Amino acid sequence: MRRGISFRLTVLVLACSSLIFCIILGYNYIISRGIIVRMAEEKGDYLASNTGQRLAEVFSSVSTVVDDMAQSLENGALTEERVRRMGGQVLRNHPEIFGTAIGFEAYRFDPYRKYFAPYHYRMNGGVVSTILGGDGYQYFYMDWYQLPRELGESIWTEPYFDEGGGGALITTYSAPFYREENGQRRLVGVVTADISLGWLQDLVSGIDVCDTGYGFLLSRYGAYISHPDSDLIMNETIFSRAEELGLPDLRELGRRMRKGDKGFVELAGFQGLESVFVYYLPLPMQHWSFGLVFPKAELFADVSRLSSVMSGMGIAGIGVLAGLILLLSRTITRPLRLLTTAAREIASGNLDLQLPEVSSRDEVGELAGSFQTMRTSLKSYIADLTETTAAKERIESELSIAREIQMGILPKLFPAFPERSEFDIFASIEPAREVGGDLYDFFFVDDNHFCFLVGDVSGKGVPAALFMAVTKTLLKVVAETGLEPGEVLAKVNDDLAEENDSCMFVTLFLAVLDVRNGEVRYANAGHNPPLYVQAAGAVEWVPSACEPMAGAMEGMTYSTGTMHFSPGDRLFIYTDGVTEAMNRDSDLYTEERLLEDIAAHPQASAAEIIREVDAGIKTFTAGAEQSDDITMLAMTYLGTTSAK
Amino acid sequence: MKIVNEMKGACMLVSVEGRMDALTAPEFEKACADFLDQGKTNVVVDFALLEYISSAGLRSILASAKKLKSKGGDLRFCGLTGMVEEVFRISGFQAMFTIVPSFDDIAGS
Repeated sequence: MRRGISFRLTVLVLACSSLIFCIILGYNYIISRGIIVRMAEEKGDYLASNTGQRLAEVFSSVSTVVDDMAQSLENGALTEERVRRMGGQVLRNHPEIFGTAIGFEAYRFDPYRKYFAPYHYRMNGGVVSTILGGDGYQYFYMDWYQLPRELGESIWTEPYFDEGGGGALITTYSAPFYREENGQRRLVGVVTADISLGWLQDLVSGIDVCDTGYGFLLSRYGAYISHPDSDLIMNETIFSRAEELGLPDLRELGRRMRKGDKGFVELAGFQGLESVFVYYLPLPMQHWSFGLVFPKAELFADVSRLSSVMSGMGIAGIGVLAGLILLLSRTITRPLRLLTTAAREIASGNLDLQLPEVSSRDEVGELAGSFQTMRTSLKSYIADLTETTAAKERIESELSIAREIQMGILPKLFPAFPERSEFDIFASIEPAREVGGDLYDFFFVDDNHFCFLVGDVSGKGVPAALFMAVTKTLLKVVAETGLEPGEVLAKVNDDLAEENDSCMFVTLFLAVLDVRNGEVRYANAGHNPPLYVQAAGAVEWVPSACEPMAGAMEGMTYSTGTMHFSPGDRLFIYTDGVTEAMNRDSDLYTEERLLEDIAAHPQASAAEIIREVDAGIKTFTAGAEQSDDITMLAMTYLGTTSAK
Repeated sequence: MKIVNEMKGACMLVSVEGRMDALTAPEFEKACADFLDQGKTNVVVDFALLEYISSAGLRSILASAKKLKSKGGDLRFCGLTGMVEEVFRISGFQAMFTIVPSFDDIAGS
């Protein structure tokens, strides 16, 4: 398919606008993404901190309650009623507390009872109470009792299943309390409050962490205390889980959480999700760590939505733009296509074709107008050309006829005078392509006087041809009156010069041979000096008086020279077409070469001399175009004796 | 062909350079016709730099000379050399025109 303007325009504009779109969208996306990511991170951070804080608040309120109870138990009377009532009261006021116990040292509360530990806890929405202790449950050795007793300070126990109470998974805050006895501070017992990890789990689950995000708690050794998957709780540690899932990153996270660090990490390939973010922070009181898990896809849902909306908008925009440009460029190029078809039709010669109407006033409209003008001009031009060509052909054919007539008036029959043995004459004219003005002639003036001449009219073309014809006629008429050659030329000059406004002229060499004795009388009107070739072979130029050419100016006089020819002497007359014949390098044939060529053939007859010189010229010009007529005439005097 | 002209005293000195043939001769004739129109009929032509002259060139000289003389002017030549001098000699122009070796010879006269 040819790639037209509309195609290229569409591609170009689309490429440019797509690039701009992409740059703007890309920039927008990067910036917006940065903002959203930062917001998501802040959100995660905030949620984690917030949850951690809430947990810490719960724990701290619990510890405060227990510390207050311990404080209260260190003062006032320790009646059974007070001790028993205290637990129920605490549970009613503090919904976050699952159970509370006040455990006494052996025989400390009642010398008859080894174990005394009233325990209140929640069951089925109500509060029940029991007295802990017995041979089956020697609470002195439980962590919740033994650790604060031995350490002398309040502690949070590791989570454990409560055997004494409802069997729930709990963690306990225990505080020892003392009394002054005999000036000594002595341990009386331990007061505790339990937090149900189930309740903790509900609290953590209550945090709105996206749709699939969740929180989890790790104990000081990395065991799961709280996790949406209840199978993990107290059964697995984060390390065993990392091993199981083959996630070294998870193990690293566990290490950091155990160390009590705060931060966030990105975990790949976790729980079948592509990627998750985990925010973690420590709960220092319990040596626990809290983690919040966000699926990355969900956290970045806004970013994904933003990018898909933006790409959608971009693609739709480019599509609409493409459609518009295509439509626009087709509207523009449609007249162009019509014009192209019309132009082809015109090129094939159909000039009468009606061009398509283009009404638009834009460049295309102008082009259509120019086409219309071109068609009209072309039509009239071709009509003119046809006419001119016809006229030119007519003129050329007439010129060629004129040329034939001109050549026809020159004697062409050789031997010209077979009945005369006193001399031999030969002449040739080789016309150039353009009509020229060379001439030659020969005729008997009377029985004994033979006149021969060569002339060259200035210029070329029809004027030269006409002037040549006039000259030839005049020469014959005047010469036949028997005047001396000089007189002939003077007379002819006067006749030609009369009314010769164009200043045409002719150079002439005219000679008259007396056949009886070989006397040659001649006159020269500005013509190239001929060559005199003696029978013995010597060659020389015929001396010239340097008299002006004929026709230029009236009143010129010409002298007549005389030579005496012995039998075998020859005269070679030529026009400047010979010496000025040019080869392709614009070198001239020159008089010197002519002299050499003639001297090279000392015994040649008249016809032979001309053939040799002609061959010499052809060799020299080597096919270069002939620019002027080449005219030669040779006369050999044979003498009277040979006739007898 | 190149034609350069300048007034030298009462004479218009015309230097012609190059070839004067059927193609270029009309330029010379045109130049001479312009001098005539300006009333500068006393023309001296310097052919020192002319390489070639054809019969058409000779014709244009004749035609110009005729026009100048009819208005009482003159056409003279100087600086003829080589082929041009030969043509002038053979064609009898030497007999028809005033020819001097150099322009100084005219100025001196």
